[in-house]
Amino acid sequence: MNLSLTNAGSYPRIGDTPELQILRQTLARFDRQEVTEADIRRAEDEMVRRAIAEQIEAGLDLVTDGQIRWYDPISHIAGKLRGTKINGLLRYFDTNFYFRQPILVDRLVRERPILIEEYRYACSISSRPVKPVLTGPYTLAVFSLVERMEYRDLERRVEDYATILAEEIADLAAAGAELIQVDEPAIVLDGANFDLFAAGICALARAKGTARLALYISFGDVSSFYERLQDLPVDVLGLDFTSSPQLIDRIAVEGSAKALGLGLIDGRNTKLEPEAEVAAALERLLPAIRSEVAYLNPSTGLEFLPRDRAFRKLQHLVRIGLRFKR
Amino acid sequence: MSREKLRALGLDLPLLPTTSVGSFPKPDELQQARTRWARGLISRDEVERLERRATEFWIRTQEELGIDVLVDGEQYRGDMVTYFAENMRGFEIGGFVRSYGNRYYRKPIIVSKVKWERPITVSWWRFAQSLTAKPVKGMLTGPYTVMDWCFNEYYPDRRATCLALAREIRKEVEALIEAGARIIQIDEPALSVRPQELPLAREALQMVTDGLPAYFISHACYGAFEKIYPEMLALPVDNFDLEMSNSNLDLLEHFKRSPFTKDLSFGVVDVHSHVIEDVETVVARIRQGLEVVPAEALWIDPDCGLKTRTVEEAIAKLRVIVEAVGRVRATLA
Repeated sequence: MNLSLTNAGSYPRIGDTPELQILRQTLARFDRQEVTEADIRRAEDEMVRRAIAEQIEAGLDLVTDGQIRWYDPISHIAGKLRGTKINGLLRYFDTNFYFRQPILVDRLVRERPILIEEYRYACSISSRPVKPVLTGPYTLAVFSLVERMEYRDLERRVEDYATILAEEIADLAAAGAELIQVDEPAIVLDGANFDLFAAGICALARAKGTARLALYISFGDVSSFYERLQDLPVDVLGLDFTSSPQLIDRIAVEGSAKALGLGLIDGRNTKLEPEAEVAAALERLLPAIRSEVAYLNPSTGLEFLPRDRAFRKLQHLVRIGLRFKR
Repeated sequence: MSREKLRALGLDLPLLPTTSVGSFPKPDELQQARTRWARGLISRDEVERLERRATEFWIRTQEELGIDVLVDGEQYRGDMVTYFAENMRGFEIGGFVRSYGNRYYRKPIIVSKVKWERPITVSWWRFAQSLTAKPVKGMLTGPYTVMDWCFNEYYPDRRATCLALAREIRKEVEALIEAGARIIQIDEPALSVRPQELPLAREALQMVTDGLPAYFISHACYGAFEKIYPEMLALPVDNFDLEMSNSNLDLLEHFKRSPFTKDLSFGVVDVHSHVIEDVETVVARIRQGLEVVPAEALWIDPDCGLKTRTVEEAIAKLRVIVEAVGRVRATLA
């Protein structure tokens, strides 16, 4: 089996030196109407370039664009659709990060592709394959406030977001993405909605064409519905073992029919986990995975860490991962 | 109950006391000086001179506006957690981490045993209080939030971290009381994050406040309070300062179902919007607040610290609050 070393999504968009603060400065200057949107775009491009360069330098096989252009995981997508307006701040799970809640005021319509240009740009500057990342329909639906009557029904929200995200997936697949990551952390909040969540994932899977779909779930324990995750029509299951530690034993015993994204490195704390512990988990997990490939990645995106620590985490991940690469 | 406590502390406040959550925007000259200081171009003394000037400006401004309970405006702080981490032992100040949008803070890393070594906010409180006859709140960040907003590389778990912080933060509260502070606000914005940890937050706050003679306020914002309400009322404070307007006053519905039994500092203006609310809007919000909390128990303030607004916007929002409270008071008299 091949072990691919990858990132689970975001990467810090700021650092300690002035050249790593250009995006922050440009956005602040935009607020004061001193620069244009084109200037923001250039600053974002520069920070995407640096995020990719650092991931490659750390030794990853598969990189992301660091989600540098994302205001947050929810409003970056929801806010670009017709039918939404953006409301106040709400804490993102139990992190120290806050996102803006969309309000659904009218029927959701995708007026134009959202992620494809970002993906194309990342590919154009990366020497390694790029994995596009998007937030899934269930998570967007759960975190949306509702003014439009029909959307009081969660199922209707999931359906409409899924229709729109399926178009995004089809675009990304057509543009050559081999692996597309869908983040659905909100299912950890209420496993009772599994059927709704699953319907959204199925709609995306139908649109993936030749691409492979990776479903990543972080920020909570998935062990109560883990079996059902295995039945979903996705190619890779990304598991946050810092939130679901007992799953290691279970998978080691039961095996996994699906390829797994192994979130063994904590993306949310600066402390580097003991190498021997991570290696011991990998020694048990890898033989149990019945697929051609497995992924080793942090448990979450890395934006929760300062830049130097995020880079160190990736180096740590690579150091451990290389021992298991064929 | 709390009015009696306030009177016993020598505080005779009007109905619907107006106050602020804590931070005010830093004037441009201070903002620029902080940047120059960070680059090593000017001395810390020069920055402090401007911090004192800015503090004087905000005390004078609050007095002129007619605010009842003042704050020092936190002109000397970069951030509500980092500031305390910088001034206690056991922390290393990490690099920037994003808190939302284009806002970042230096997230501290707990690397050894935390220790309070000397008063942190007391000299600023003394200075601010020396400028006014109105009461100035003592302000600090609570143990649960400091724990939740730091990386931890030292303690075995969250509970051990939180209680160690509580023991040390209590010393700052004692120092503020000794200096003369009678109203002390302990910010706990992280409170609602993990409902199952509410007992831990309560235990920690109990350690901080137990037996101390002050009127305690706890500020919290931008969380899912419905998940910890009404259980949060068991926290050992007299007054909860809650962000209400950013979330369309949704919390009031919960207070109707289960009575709010503490004093409430009611956030009536959104601090994340450039738009200045009109007086009628704020009057209407106060009246909605009065439907669930008696006038004796209601304080009025912005949702959260105003530091993200411009100086002009912050003043305009405070002015609207004072005017709206004046109108409502006239009808209550």
